Amino acid sequence: MHMAGLVIKDLRIESTSGRCLLSIPKLAVPAGTSLAIRGPSGAGKSTLLFALAGLIPINSGSIRWDDTDLAHLSDKARTAFRDAACGIIFQDHFLFEELSAAQNASLTALYAPKARRRRIAELAQDVMASLGVSNAEKRTVTSFSGGERQRIAVARALAKDPQIVLADEPTASLDRATADRLIVDLFGTLRGAARTLIVVSHDPALIAAADHQLTISDGQVADYV
Amino acid sequence: MFETWWYALPIVVQDGLVAAALLTPIAVTGVACLWGYRVMPLVVGLLRKHLSTSLTFTLLIACSVAISIGLIAQERGLREGTARAADKFDLIVAAPGSEITAMLAAVYLQPTALPLIDGNIYQQIENHPLVELAAPLAFGDSWEGRRIVGTTAAFVSHMSTPLAAGYVFSQMNEAVVGANVPLNVGDVIAPTHGDGDGDGAEEDTYNTHDFSYVISGKMTRTGSPWDDAIMVSVETVWDIHAMPIGHGPEWDGSLGGPFDPAYFSGTPAVLVRAEALWANYSLQSEFYTAQTMAFFPGNVLAQLHALMGDIRQVMQVLAITTQVLVAVAVLTGLSMLSRILAKRMALLRALGAPRRFIFGVTWSFATILTVVGATVGIVLGMLATQVLSRVLTAQTGILIETGVRWPEVHLVASFVSTVALLSHFPAYLASKRNLLDDLRI
Repeated sequence: MHMAGLVIKDLRIESTSGRCLLSIPKLAVPAGTSLAIRGPSGAGKSTLLFALAGLIPINSGSIRWDDTDLAHLSDKARTAFRDAACGIIFQDHFLFEELSAAQNASLTALYAPKARRRRIAELAQDVMASLGVSNAEKRTVTSFSGGERQRIAVARALAKDPQIVLADEPTASLDRATADRLIVDLFGTLRGAARTLIVVSHDPALIAAADHQLTISDGQVADYV
Repeated sequence: MFETWWYALPIVVQDGLVAAALLTPIAVTGVACLWGYRVMPLVVGLLRKHLSTSLTFTLLIACSVAISIGLIAQERGLREGTARAADKFDLIVAAPGSEITAMLAAVYLQPTALPLIDGNIYQQIENHPLVELAAPLAFGDSWEGRRIVGTTAAFVSHMSTPLAAGYVFSQMNEAVVGANVPLNVGDVIAPTHGDGDGDGAEEDTYNTHDFSYVISGKMTRTGSPWDDAIMVSVETVWDIHAMPIGHGPEWDGSLGGPFDPAYFSGTPAVLVRAEALWANYSLQSEFYTAQTMAFFPGNVLAQLHALMGDIRQVMQVLAITTQVLVAVAVLTGLSMLSRILAKRMALLRALGAPRRFIFGVTWSFATILTVVGATVGIVLGMLATQVLSRVLTAQTGILIETGVRWPEVHLVASFVSTVALLSHFPAYLASKRNLLDDLRI
């Protein structure tokens, strides 16, 4: 499987009123590694994450995932990029309550090419099994605890075997023990598969588990190690 | 070329093709926005999650469709029923007046006071060389609300050949009953004076005659008010009302014509039938005089149906207006619902779902509600029409049969297709919403 590394150059994102939300002159994240983005609330962490997913159009500069520069992609192409390369985990797991856990985890199979659907469903099952989510076929999402729901969201992100996983505060709504278990599961799964992980978090344990740490303050890079 | 090909097709094939053409926009949209996707698990989940809203929309659509097809089917059933009831009445000759009133009395047995045709005129009709059947009608009595009609045995045979049971009356005390009359051959009834509508003090005053009929036969069902009538010889009706019975002192006792004009007590209407169609027209022309009017009930009905046709057009406009209003209400509701669904759709797009998929989910949601609502509406409409038809049949004696036919199918197909096309609008809105705004809701 091809691995995706990230290179950002002269990135500038502005609000509709022209205020600078984010400015990153240069940043590189090697393929197969993990990056934790931290910083105070409103610093621009989520803006960066969404920009990396192609969810936010950028005003200038480039976000390059290997040969793909998001700055030059149309909305349709960025959607296709997300579908092909990204798995996204949201802070508020965003599951469909009316569907079973298995259906949620394999949600992307609904619009995937027919040839990939079975693979996505199998991967979703495998990931849920490895994360300890049981009876996923029969149980609706509402019957799972908060930690289990977040693991279903992780399974959904990983089910299409993405090169890049983008996670926004994945442990924010979890208790410590559950958060620790999720960190172990998430990093273990992705390191094993040599996937690139970029995660926004305030959780010191999660930040410490990442290979690189980026601190953003007031839309600027304050520190990168 | 196309016209030749088209008109060479059987009617049912033409109707089927029209229905298919009307539904084409659904098929085209369905294929265009759903090809390669599996939207049903999501749509079914959304329907379950928003069950009360979905049911409300479905019920609204069902009611509008039910009203529309109910009106159309009922109007058609009434038109066909009245036409069928008049089928056996080729030509009616009556005293000058309203053709509609005479038709209502003679064909539909509605209680009406009509002037009488005297014996001389009747003799002219009866003896006319083109006349195959001339049957006088005499009203005035009833049994348990059912009209007793004095006429000739030939008329009964004309109405029902063969009889369902027994034989046509040949004695003055014999009677033949319509198919709906709860009497059997051999039963005995006492006629009551009056038309049997139960609202006249006269009936109570005079009560029954000192006379009884024996049921000799029962007609097959005609689908007309005559199914609820009791037919006896016209001589008997005149006789028990102390009137001349149509025959002089030398009468041999044989019922029916020829009648003696000097002893003819008068008849409000005469059913006339000629062997050939042209002869009926000739007779109609000949008996449209200062003393009589002759008319084809079919023509009078056609005029009434033309009037009903105008009413039908108004009803159709009302029905379509109702459907449009419901469609607008549903689509407005769906547009609002698309805001409720916005976060889900935004999530799907964030995960990589194409806009076409979002469009497909929203459009399918709206179209399924419409199709289910229309289907339930057809069932509800037909049930309501059946009930109404039975009530009308019981009240008028005219058999009104209803059922879903191609015009209703076409109407519903047009409605479903139109709503499916209009559903592009909320679907488009859903697919074009601001992703980030919706994710942050």
